[in-house]
Amino acid sequence: MSATYQLALQQLTDSALPTGAFAHSLGFEGYIERGLVGDEGSFGVWLSAFLGQQLTYSDGLAIRFLYEGADVGLLDSVLSSQLLAREVREASLKMGGRLLEIGGEVFPSGELDAYRELVREGSAQGHQPLAFGVIARSLGVPFEAALSAYLFATVTSLTQNAVRAIPLGQNAGQRVLRQAHDAVAAAVQDVARLCWEDFGAVSPGLEISQMRHERQRARMFMS
Amino acid sequence: MVNPGGAYLGADLFLIDVEVEAGAELLLTTQSATKVYRTPGSFAEQRMSVRLGEGSRLELLPDQLIAYREASYRQNSRISLHPTSSFVMAEVITPGWSPDGGEFKYEEVRLRNEIWIEDGNSAKLLALDNLLIRPPVNDVTGLGFMEGSSHLGSLVVVDPRVEQGLADQLHEVTRGFGAYTGVSLTATIAGTTGLVLRSLSNSTEELNTLLGACTSFLRERWYGQEPLNLRKY
Repeated sequence: MSATYQLALQQLTDSALPTGAFAHSLGFEGYIERGLVGDEGSFGVWLSAFLGQQLTYSDGLAIRFLYEGADVGLLDSVLSSQLLAREVREASLKMGGRLLEIGGEVFPSGELDAYRELVREGSAQGHQPLAFGVIARSLGVPFEAALSAYLFATVTSLTQNAVRAIPLGQNAGQRVLRQAHDAVAAAVQDVARLCWEDFGAVSPGLEISQMRHERQRARMFMS
Repeated sequence: MVNPGGAYLGADLFLIDVEVEAGAELLLTTQSATKVYRTPGSFAEQRMSVRLGEGSRLELLPDQLIAYREASYRQNSRISLHPTSSFVMAEVITPGWSPDGGEFKYEEVRLRNEIWIEDGNSAKLLALDNLLIRPPVNDVTGLGFMEGSSHLGSLVVVDPRVEQGLADQLHEVTRGFGAYTGVSLTATIAGTTGLVLRSLSNSTEELNTLLGACTSFLRERWYGQEPLNLRKY
């Protein structure tokens, strides 16, 4: 028999989970505009940079510190202050807000209630990786399984968005996802060996592209 | 501020404390580039603590950072502001220097700025600006990181007058430069907001000119002051 959390984790990371992930490129739309991302290979390069840098140093570390018992309110304020590109910060809060709401209905727990209460009273903002981490932990999902699932879910929704935006063929999208398996495993290992001082380290190119997106004329995505 | 001993070496630790009292204004720069030499098995570190009182103003404009071959450097700054204070900081990081002419031969450069807003008894983190470049571990030159550029410039502004229109205007100021630049705003805490500008280029001079154009824009807009001319060289 599979682990008791298996179906819950699948539901939580299904790309059909209505958090609005389809509306966010988290910066790759700017690379499309500059002609640097335009096919399966070049999107794969962007995706592995994003996964190995931003997702590892921000979201991934946030989930690890949460699992290690760090205060969710503290982690929330650090995420808000290190996501310096406004649209990406807002994306994390928009998707986080939806996840808190959905989680409250389908996976209620004391820990989730506590985080939602902090957000309601304005002492936290409600970020996506923390909402995910709180729910996954309350369901008994072990850390590595939770982190891999979160990273791969993010990679999946970004790839689906690229399939529409570039556009890529459906099979090309599946090949990109298969290619990402090793990068997700490597990111999980990286997250385990980084330290508090690494939390929120930025990659200048990714960040500038996310900042410039605010002023991009033709755009399909909110970030 | 005079850079000590010409350069930073392994196991060096420099502590800098700056306090700008209520209503005071300070322009702080360095005498020359911050140079970090080889730090075998160790690292050089600078810890800076900056506190700005009510209605005070600080422009923190050090010369560029140069990390030499096999150098490791950590710079940690904690900047505490009153909601009414005004803070402008510009920094340039170069790809370093090595005898074979290659770039990014240093081990590690870590620049971490925490900006706190202190209002009465409460302190809230407004911005964490954390840059970590480790050339031996990652390819730092490619897409997503330095993207073929060698130099990185950053401008951080915190001031109650910062708003979206100002970010858009500063972005316009940078349009005339070849450097690849982005500008965005932090959240607003206790009525004050941060602005962060990042720029990639292949020359210190271009970044200095670009960042200088931005700081001049702010000096003129907020104080009716002339652009800075520090006449160091």
